[in-house]
Amino acid sequence: MSAGTVKLGRPNPAKGGVALTAYTALIFAFLYLPIAVIILFAFDDKPVPGLPMAGLTLDWFGKAFSDPDLMASLFVSIKLALSSAVLATAIAMPAAMVLAWREVRLRTLVMCLLLAPIVVPQIVIGLGLVLLFRLVPDLIGSPAIIIAHTTLTACYATMILYSRLLGFRRSYLEAAMDLGASDLRVFFEIILPLAAPALLAVMLLAFTDAFGEYIVAWFVAGFTETLPIVIWGSMRGVLSPAINAISSVIIVVSLVLSALSQIWIIRQSRSSS
Amino acid sequence: MAGTTITPAASYGSTAQAASVKRERGHIIAGLAPVLLWQTLFFVIPMLILLVYSFWTMRDYRLDYTFTLDNYVAIFTNPIYFKAFLLSLQVALFVTVICAVLAVPVAYFIAKKAGRWRVMLLVMVIIPFWVSLVMRAFAWRLLLGERGFINRGLELTGVIEQPFSFLLYSPTAIVIGLVYAYLPLYVLPLYASFDKVHDNWIAAAQDLNATPMRAFWEVTFPLALPGLMVGAVFCFIFGLGEYIVPALLGGGKSLMISQAIRLEFELRQNWPGGAALSIVLMAIVMAILAVSLRWLRPETAR
Repeated sequence: MSAGTVKLGRPNPAKGGVALTAYTALIFAFLYLPIAVIILFAFDDKPVPGLPMAGLTLDWFGKAFSDPDLMASLFVSIKLALSSAVLATAIAMPAAMVLAWREVRLRTLVMCLLLAPIVVPQIVIGLGLVLLFRLVPDLIGSPAIIIAHTTLTACYATMILYSRLLGFRRSYLEAAMDLGASDLRVFFEIILPLAAPALLAVMLLAFTDAFGEYIVAWFVAGFTETLPIVIWGSMRGVLSPAINAISSVIIVVSLVLSALSQIWIIRQSRSSS
Repeated sequence: MAGTTITPAASYGSTAQAASVKRERGHIIAGLAPVLLWQTLFFVIPMLILLVYSFWTMRDYRLDYTFTLDNYVAIFTNPIYFKAFLLSLQVALFVTVICAVLAVPVAYFIAKKAGRWRVMLLVMVIIPFWVSLVMRAFAWRLLLGERGFINRGLELTGVIEQPFSFLLYSPTAIVIGLVYAYLPLYVLPLYASFDKVHDNWIAAAQDLNATPMRAFWEVTFPLALPGLMVGAVFCFIFGLGEYIVPALLGGGKSLMISQAIRLEFELRQNWPGGAALSIVLMAIVMAILAVSLRWLRPETAR
């Protein structure tokens, strides 16, 4: 019997057990080592990357950033992902405000429509969209890619914004309304500043996602080449370390953007609740 | 007396109320319209188009618009499609089980043992999920190939003489790649569930003389079951329809259903065939969701 011992409160982290800590460390290694390998090999001084490493070089980065095709597709990807991220956030925000603050009949139906594109396999969405765009072939290419990525990202953009806005103090909004502020004024002077971190976070996530998405874009791309499409194509043949170099830059940027957005989302939930 | 003074005020109140109800409804419609219209145009309608196409056929590279169930009959009689569905289900099942086994201790550690590091660790679990799947699968090609990191590493240290050839371009590689892709997604709902288990309940069990192990299995784990189910459902349906990982790591000897869909579309130019495969795949996903809805509801309602 453990007579006399009183255990209260949060278990002590020090008692977490060495095994559990070590196991968690292993899982983190599993999550990060593979992408670290791409970055490591981008510095390898050999035309075909592999162990043992011959030496360190920055040549592949120079080669990647002076390759006109690679750079063209990089800028195409940035432009398209930025457009769809802004568009997705713009249509997600009003819906999130309504869902969070107002009584909506058929709420379940609305939620289902918003969750469906997340659970339907992307290859199915891609095929469906390309058959739709056969009716309006002029849109195939950049506009179709922007539309496709907006469709994919607007769903979780709405859900994330909705869950953040739920934590808002409605008293701020009601106070402003009672003082006679117009809807527009309430939006621009109260809601927008308070929701700015969440909006920015959602936009960054949508951008990162759209930037790296391959299969849906491939279906509707026509002759437009985004960076994932170019990288995919180059993986069919002999891999150039220049691809490693550009990939590692993108991986690092994606990690930073997604870390920033996660931190903003968490901050928002703390400051507003 | 009193009635006459109240009546005008009351009627004024009711018209104001009617006006505000009207205004409220206007707000709701205006707010929801953009996203709902967008999703109808670019999601619901494409899915309906797929359904319509699946009843047509392709003859000599031209669409034949006569209604037929041939595409569906082909799916259930042609062993190639049947095998593709079977492989997809098997892979998804393996991925789900492995992800669950890997994720439970990590989610538990982050929720209960990580102290002030928990937010940081949770963020660190999630962020690789947002790196392009093309690049994450590409990383595993560098690792698993015959001249890849793992084989060369084992050769250089003298553990093996011949490289393992089964690592890349096999169902094993697909499972590894998908586990890697969806592990972060599994940790999240599990973390949320473990986080909701009060420390006092665990302490109470231990005060009643349960060993930490027994307290975990009889108190913490059953309470975390909703998170386990949510993670399992999403892991399974995402694994089932994933294209990028099997295409890059599977080698193409045995196809998953997503690869069969692209093959029908790209190589055979058989859009109705691809559409029928897509509809069946979607039906499986919807069936899984319908069956598991009772576990999902408390999570989505939050």
